[in-house]
Amino acid sequence: MPTHALASNGARALRLPGLARLGGIALWWATPVAFVALWWLASAQRWFPPQLVVPPDRLAATLRTLLDTGELRDNLLITLHRLALGFAIGATSGAAFGILLARSRLFADYLRPTFDLLRQVPTLTLIPLLILLIGVDEPLKLVVVGKAVFFPVALAAYTGVHDAPRDLVEMARHYGLGRFALLCDVLLPAALPPLLTGVRIALARAWLALVAVELLSADSGIGQMMELARQMLRLDVVLIDVAVIGLIGFAIDRSIALVQRYALRWQTPAR
Amino acid sequence: MKHTLSLASLRRPLRALFAALPFAAASLAAPAAHADDAPKVVRIAVVAYSSGGKTQYAGASALIDADKSLEKALAARHVKLQWVPVSTAAVGTLVNEAFTNGSIDFAGYGDLPSVVVNASGTHTRLIVPGGVGSNTYLVVPAGSTAKSIVDLKGKRIALNRGRPWEVTFSKLLAQNGLKLSDFKIYNLDPQAGAAAVAAGRVDGFFTLSDAYSLVDKNVGKIIWSTKTAPEDWKMRAELWASDDFVRRYPDVTQLVATTYVRAAHWISQPQNRDAYVKILSASGQPESVVRREYADEATPWKEQWTPLFTPALTGHYRDVVAYSRQAGLTSTPVDVNTLLAPTFVSTALKQLGLDGYWRTDAARVASR
Amino acid sequence: MTLAKPPFSFAPMRRRARGLVVPAVLVAAWQYASSGDAAHQYAFVPLQQVGAALVELARSGELATDLGASLRRTTLGLAAGIVFGLVFGAAMARSTLARKLGEPAFQALRYVPLLGLIPLLSLWAGTGEFAKVFIIALAAFYPMTTASFDGLRRVDPRYVELAQSYRLTRAGLWRDVLIPGALPDLFAGVLQAVPFAWITATSSELLFNAGAGVGGLMQNAQAGARADVLLVCVLGVTALAVGMSALCERIAQRALRWRDHA
Repeated sequence: MPTHALASNGARALRLPGLARLGGIALWWATPVAFVALWWLASAQRWFPPQLVVPPDRLAATLRTLLDTGELRDNLLITLHRLALGFAIGATSGAAFGILLARSRLFADYLRPTFDLLRQVPTLTLIPLLILLIGVDEPLKLVVVGKAVFFPVALAAYTGVHDAPRDLVEMARHYGLGRFALLCDVLLPAALPPLLTGVRIALARAWLALVAVELLSADSGIGQMMELARQMLRLDVVLIDVAVIGLIGFAIDRSIALVQRYALRWQTPAR
Repeated sequence: MKHTLSLASLRRPLRALFAALPFAAASLAAPAAHADDAPKVVRIAVVAYSSGGKTQYAGASALIDADKSLEKALAARHVKLQWVPVSTAAVGTLVNEAFTNGSIDFAGYGDLPSVVVNASGTHTRLIVPGGVGSNTYLVVPAGSTAKSIVDLKGKRIALNRGRPWEVTFSKLLAQNGLKLSDFKIYNLDPQAGAAAVAAGRVDGFFTLSDAYSLVDKNVGKIIWSTKTAPEDWKMRAELWASDDFVRRYPDVTQLVATTYVRAAHWISQPQNRDAYVKILSASGQPESVVRREYADEATPWKEQWTPLFTPALTGHYRDVVAYSRQAGLTSTPVDVNTLLAPTFVSTALKQLGLDGYWRTDAARVASR
Repeated sequence: MTLAKPPFSFAPMRRRARGLVVPAVLVAAWQYASSGDAAHQYAFVPLQQVGAALVELARSGELATDLGASLRRTTLGLAAGIVFGLVFGAAMARSTLARKLGEPAFQALRYVPLLGLIPLLSLWAGTGEFAKVFIIALAAFYPMTTASFDGLRRVDPRYVELAQSYRLTRAGLWRDVLIPGALPDLFAGVLQAVPFAWITATSSELLFNAGAGVGGLMQNAQAGARADVLLVCVLGVTALAVGMSALCERIAQRALRWRDHA
């Protein structure tokens, strides 16, 4: 094990390779550990009132309560359900739209300019207007998530199909592949990489939009739970909600990344 | 939702106020020989309506800002006065956060949020009560057939949680044998709630006098209000101070308290009623809305502004504390007696020679 | 014109015209919806009213004040976020130690939607200018750090070796190899950061204490149920976001002209 190349900033590495590796890995934990230590110290020493810096044990107790009463789980499930439903609607319609856009000149003529225009309207800014137009029930959340998902997915599908290598398409035609078979066996696989990227972006945006709309106007869900906690000055609940929201966002993103890696195993290196 | 000030309309009453100023100043120049350290700045949070970068304050604070008496009195002690505007959309939350992180010393705001902040561990004291309180209204869409809250059972209601009128709403429900869980409650701020009921997106909306605006626009109608309810159902707003500040600077606290009592005295005089209504209607709410809020009141105008600490006041806060525990908004008990700081008002009344100006009799103990 | 070429065709114009059909239909549908009862009119405000609202806002100076305030905050936040992001990303790219120390903290907050941080921020930092600018800076910080990190990582190591063989100083290395090499990624980062920061600015104002700002304007519009003003705001924010992106793209193209490959 080379003991010189791993060090940074010109520092000399230890002679013992095992220790160097351990030290290297340990450093990754340095910041989180330092942060927790500082937090614990600040609350123990009462540098700030406990309302501003929640003592770690209080946080743990609140977490336990939230889990026991099921409040966290129930709200989270509601939010995730909205995400799933909105995603399903937005992604399927978006993919279909994108494919049509790429394959049909006529469709593109009619719809491309509108698509480009609407795509630019930021979802977050629309929320107050949508509240007026659609109300505050489930449809509002579904529309918000749907919109956030539809456009990136449609664009990605369009790009994927549009940029499918010409020679593959022509070869398929040459072999007499029908329209449907062409779609399934040539175009979709070709579009998969950009499509997955689009899905990843779409989910990140949808998560942001969903949390925002729940903060601004919901009767249930984790965003609403956080807003109510804020109004009741329950910083501990707010912190837990923020952590959960971040973890879910992370989990979603990593899952798609895994799917991406798996689905693209067969890809030729040229891509 | 009361708003503020256009100086031009205030010229005559202001002149009267200024005439009283030397008298008031003399009484305020009480023995200041204490060696208290004084704060550098007194920060008072006040509900404000802002549009286009201009901010207009609500109620008594608008008066006090206009005549600058507090500013001058504080300046005489080398203390600056800083008004901290808070938007009506989320007064309780913003003021409570500000008390918690120590960025304000006083606030004019409502009863439920004050209880919430004390339950959370940040202590505040009630320095000057704000009068009998404000009316709350139940609004339904213009085309609705609902005649009372009972008709709305199971339907969608826009109710901003944590705001003072939530307690009134719970009293209305209790009176009709209903519970909060009998409805789908949408925690929308008053603006969003107004929009929602106007568009028929919710079936009911519980709020303050902004309800009249919806009626005027023909998009809503009022089917219930506290005008037909016992007096202590009204939502209350008072002048609160951080406990820390009161402990450290009782003199300055007294100064501020006396100013607010004096403002209440000015407003309570029947000849100033019109001027005050004009102040409130100078922003946001049209004059007709303000007039209707104050019309048909059982209590005479003068008594509506009483800053006295009555048993009714204590009872009201006991109700608020009990409600907040029961609704799960707070989990720590709050002792109402530690909230109230009546000495500042008594001293102020003596200083201003207003002892006995407002009724202290049991007639105000009310209607439970 | 000889007849060997195809005669003048209406095809391109026809295709253009087709693109206008759907928008026209949508506008017509909107106007139809707005002719309904009062409840409908509340939301589906007639388009001429939207125009009138725009004029009213502009004339009263309200638009200028609010827009100016939001733009000012956004510029400040962007400047801070971009600078910090650049430096942070660069540090992580060049130094493994920095990466080990910085990346966990970076990743921890990355997946939290920024608006979700506002309840935390308002308690710790209040709701004044600092908090508002801070959130905008955060919005710009994240894409910029990623772009800076990726960009510097991607600089062809051969150039770095070349620079070392020429005994280029640290400063020279940065000036002549690293920064130019990372420039396309850096610009891509800025291109992402700018519209995102602008949108974060206007939406976060909805959750903060309103002062001057587009978010404050939207809050007041909600209060008065002015759907026309809300529509003006939506269109305005969109237009500015698009404009900012276009501007950045233009600048990027200019700055990267000397490259003969992407």
